[in-house]
Amino acid sequence: MSRWRYFGLRLLLTIPILFLAMTLVFMITRMGPLDPVTAILGPEASGGASEDIRQRLGLDLPLWRQYIDFMVGLLTFDLGQAWVAAQRGTPVTALIAERAPRTIWLGLWAIMLPIFIGVPLGFYAGLRSNTFGDWIASFLGIVWQAMPNFWLGIMLLAVLRQTRPGNQFDFLPDWYELGPTTESLLGTPDLSFIAIDWFLLVPIPTMFDFFGFLTALKQITPAALVLGSALMVSEMRIGRTAVLEQVNANYVETAKAKGLKGRTIVWKHIFRNASIPLVPVLMSEISILIGGSVIIEVVFGINGIGQLFYQAVLQGDLPVAGSLAFVFAVITLFFNVLQDLLYTLIDPRVGFEQ
Amino acid sequence: MSNSNDLTEGDNTNRRGFLGLLGGGVAVSLAGCSGGGDDNGDDGSGDDDGNMSGDDGNTSDNDGDDDSDGEVAEGGQLNLINAPVSTFDPIASTDTASATVLGQAYENLVHYPNGESELENQLVENIDISEDNLTYTFTLKEGVPYHDNEVKDELTAHDFEYAWRRLAEAEASERANFMFGTGFMIEYETDEENGIGAANVAPDSLGIEVVDDYTFEMTLQEVEPATMDVLAYDSFAAMPEGLVDDIQGYEDAPYSQNEIAREVTVGTGPFTLDNFESGSEAIVTAFDDYHGEGPYLDSVHWEILSDDEAIFTYGMERNADAIAIPTGQYDQGLVNVEEQDDRGRDVGTYGPVENGDTLNYIAVPTLSTFYVAFNASRVPRPVRQAVAYVTNHEELINEVFKGRGAEAWSFTPPAMWPGGADAYNDFVDQYPYGRNETNLDQAQQVLEDAGYTQDDPFEMTLTTYDSSAFQQFARLTRDKLSGTGVEFDIDEAPFNTLIQRGENGELDMYSLGWIWSWIDPAYGLFGFEPENTNTDEIPENANGYYLDWQSQLGESEWADQAQEAWERAQDNPGPDSQDIRDEAWLEIEEARQEDMVLLPLYHELGESFRYDWANIPKIGGLGGHRLQHNRSWLDEDAPNREP
Repeated sequence: MSRWRYFGLRLLLTIPILFLAMTLVFMITRMGPLDPVTAILGPEASGGASEDIRQRLGLDLPLWRQYIDFMVGLLTFDLGQAWVAAQRGTPVTALIAERAPRTIWLGLWAIMLPIFIGVPLGFYAGLRSNTFGDWIASFLGIVWQAMPNFWLGIMLLAVLRQTRPGNQFDFLPDWYELGPTTESLLGTPDLSFIAIDWFLLVPIPTMFDFFGFLTALKQITPAALVLGSALMVSEMRIGRTAVLEQVNANYVETAKAKGLKGRTIVWKHIFRNASIPLVPVLMSEISILIGGSVIIEVVFGINGIGQLFYQAVLQGDLPVAGSLAFVFAVITLFFNVLQDLLYTLIDPRVGFEQ
Repeated sequence: MSNSNDLTEGDNTNRRGFLGLLGGGVAVSLAGCSGGGDDNGDDGSGDDDGNMSGDDGNTSDNDGDDDSDGEVAEGGQLNLINAPVSTFDPIASTDTASATVLGQAYENLVHYPNGESELENQLVENIDISEDNLTYTFTLKEGVPYHDNEVKDELTAHDFEYAWRRLAEAEASERANFMFGTGFMIEYETDEENGIGAANVAPDSLGIEVVDDYTFEMTLQEVEPATMDVLAYDSFAAMPEGLVDDIQGYEDAPYSQNEIAREVTVGTGPFTLDNFESGSEAIVTAFDDYHGEGPYLDSVHWEILSDDEAIFTYGMERNADAIAIPTGQYDQGLVNVEEQDDRGRDVGTYGPVENGDTLNYIAVPTLSTFYVAFNASRVPRPVRQAVAYVTNHEELINEVFKGRGAEAWSFTPPAMWPGGADAYNDFVDQYPYGRNETNLDQAQQVLEDAGYTQDDPFEMTLTTYDSSAFQQFARLTRDKLSGTGVEFDIDEAPFNTLIQRGENGELDMYSLGWIWSWIDPAYGLFGFEPENTNTDEIPENANGYYLDWQSQLGESEWADQAQEAWERAQDNPGPDSQDIRDEAWLEIEEARQEDMVLLPLYHELGESFRYDWANIPKIGGLGGHRLQHNRSWLDEDAPNREP
C-alpha cells in the first residue's frame, strides 16, 4: 500500500473513532452521576421545582431522543446553551470562542519547552552518553518528572509570590517588577496586543503591540512552565535514547568510514533518524497538554477552556462538558492525523505492512 | 451542604439552604405588628428568642467597623475574591456567589443587614398584618430611585407585583416554589391549560393587589410566621415594572432574560453592574443617588477564583482587601482574639501572615450544622450509638479543621436554641455519649449487648461527599471501631450523587450539612419528623433528611416522640403557643439524640480576614453574601484604591 493510501485510510478511520468518542461522551455525561438539576437547585430541591427544570433542560425526554439531539447538535456545531456553569443560558460556542485563545496561548508556550529545551538537551545527553553532563541531565530529568504538575504549580506560586523585597525569597529577582510590571501571578493574560482580521480563512494581523505581547507572555510564563515541564522531561529522555540508538547504528560506522565530518553525520543522519520516534510522542502529548491545562488553569486562575471544563464537570453542566469533551476529541484526533502525515513525510518506510 | 471550611466573603461556594415548613407553620408573636412609624421590620419574624446576645436587635447606622475613627475616606475600588458567579437575575439566583454580587444592585422589602440575624426594613416603610395573619399590607418608602434605565425612575408598588410575578411565572425562575409551598403559600389561581410550572399557576393570578403607588397587599393561603424572612431572600427583590420580556403582558420590554442574567442590573441598590467576564471578574460601580447611606466606594471588584492556592496567592499579593485563608495555609496560632463583641463574634488579629502583614480578624459561628446521619431502617440503634460514643468532637475539630469550627452538641445551633442560652447549656450537660472523649468501652458494651462482636460484626458503609475533612472523620471513626462489632467501609461520592443515593434510601450512613437562611428552629427540625424522612417519598412528597425514621414508628419510643412533638407544634401555630413549640423542639432534639439517627459534628465558623486599610462591616452568622457594601470604605493609603 502506498503511504498516501495509508494516510487516506487513517483519515477515514477517524470518522468512526469520533462517532464512538461522542457516544461515549454522551453515555458518561447522561448516564453517569452528574445531576444538573441538583446542581442548580441545591439539595433542597422539591419534587415540583426539579421537575420544572428537568423539563426545561429536556431531561425528561427518552434517552434515545436526547442522544439523537446531542449527536445532531455536535455535528452541526449547534452546541446548545450552558445550563449551570459560568453563565446560565450562554451559547456554548460563545463560551468556547471567548476562552479558547487563552488556552491556545498557554499551550503554545508550554509546547516550546519540550521542543526547544527538552529535545536539544536529550540529544546533547545522547551524544555524550555516560559523561558527567549526561548523568546530571538524566538524574535531574527523572526527579523533575516525578514532581506532579499541580504540586509544581503550587510551589512556583509560593516561591514567586514571595520575591518582593522583604519577603522570604527576596534574593531572587522581584517577579512582579521583572520585565513588564504585573499585579498578580494569577489571572487571564490580556491577548488584545494583537488584532486579527480574517480574509478568506486567512488570518491577517492588523495590529501588534510589542509591550502588550511581553506582558501577556510574562503572565502566562509560570503556568506554561509548569504545564510544559512534564513533557519536556519525557522528550528529553526519549531524545537521548533515540540518539544513542542511532550513534551505534551501522550506517554511522559507514558514514565515518567514508570520511564524513562528525558535524555532518550528526546533523544529516543521526538527528533526522532520531526525530522519528519523537514525533508521535510529541503529538500524543498534545492530549496530555489538554488534560493538564484543566488543572493548571484552575491553579493559576486562567479563565480558559480547561477551567470552563472543570466548572462544567463539577456542576453537571452537560452541554458545556459534553461539547468540550467533543472539542478535545476533535483536537486529539486532528493531531493524530497530523502525526500520521508527518510520519509519512519523515519516514518513507511507513505503510500498513511493516 | 457545603464543602468549604471557611465561610468568608471570599469563599462563597455554598448553596444556600432554603426550605420553609411543610404545611401550616408556626406563628410567633405576630401581635402588635400593625401601626406605623416603627421602622423595624422584624416584628413578624418570630426570631426574637433566638438571639442569645441580649442585643436589642438594632443594627442600624454605624455598626460598621471598629477601625473607623468617624472620618470616612470616600472613593476607591474595593477588591474582593468570589467563587464563579452564575447569574445576576434575582429570580434565578440560587448560590451565594451570585447573591454576593447581585445583592449590591437589588434590594428587598426587608433584609438582614450584613448577614446579622435581625430583619430590618429595606424598601418597605411599614408592614400591616391582618387579624387572621393572612393579609400583609406593605407601605413602601417614597422616592427611591432606580439605576439609570429606560423604563422607570422610581420605585412603586407595581414593581413588586411585577418582580414577584416574574418569580412565579418566568421560565428562568429557579425559586418559584418559594411562593407556592416550601417558602410560604401565597394565593394564586391554577390553570390546567395555560398554567406555568409545577404549580400550574395562571398568569397574573398572584394574591397581590396594588392599592396605590406606594401600597400593596399580599394574601397568603396559610399562616406562615417566617413570611418576612422569606421575603428577605434575594429572589424577592424589586425590579422596575416592564424591564424584562419574559412574562405575559410585557412582551415589548426592552431586555431579555439573558441580558438581565449577565449584562445589566436595574435595581435600587448602592451599586450597579459595570463589567462582568464570566470566570474572570465582576465589577459594580457606585450608584450616586442611592436612597440609603453611602456608598462611599467608587466601585467593588471581585476576582473570580476557585482554587485554594490561587485564592491564597491573590490575597498574599495584596490584590484583595479582604481575603480568605484556606485551611491548608491556616495556622491557629496566628489568631489573636482581643474581644468578643455583643453578638458573640471573636474580634482580633491574624498574623503576621506570609507577606509580613497582620490582618484584622473576625470569627462568627454561622447558622450551620455539619453532621453524619444514619438510615434507621438499615443501621440498628446500638451501632448508631456506638459511633456516637467513639466520636470526640474536640479532637475532630482540632485535627481536621485546625480549630475552625465549634463543637455541635445539637442539630439546632445554640444561637437559636428554644429557650435561650441556659436551656442550651442544660441540654448540653446531659449529652449521653461523653463530651470530647472517645468512649470505646461503652461503645463495645452497647454493641456486645446487641450481639455484634468482632467475629460477627455489623457491616456498614459511610458515604461522605468530596470532602477531605469528612474523609478524615470517616477514617478516624473506622480505626476507633476496628476490632469491635462494627465493620466499617468508607465511600466518597460527588455531592450530587450522594443526594441521589440518599433519596433512593441507599445510604447506611452519610455526611451532610444544613445551613439556616433565617433564625427559626423549625426551619431545620422539619427534617426530623419521622413521616417526612421516608426515602420512598423523597423528594416528591417529603423533604426530610434521609433517615427512614418512619420505619421505627411504633417500635422506638423516640421516633414516636419526635412524630408526636412535630405534630403538636404544627397544631399550635398561634402567637401564644411559643412555649408549647419550644418544648416540642426540645423533644425532637432529645429523640434525635437518644435514638442517634443523626450525629451533629460541628458548626462552621465564619471567618473574615481584612487588611488594615479595608473598613468593611462585620459579617453576621447568616453569611457574608448578605453584606451590602454601601458602608464599606478604604483608607487613603490602601494599595489598590485605583483600579
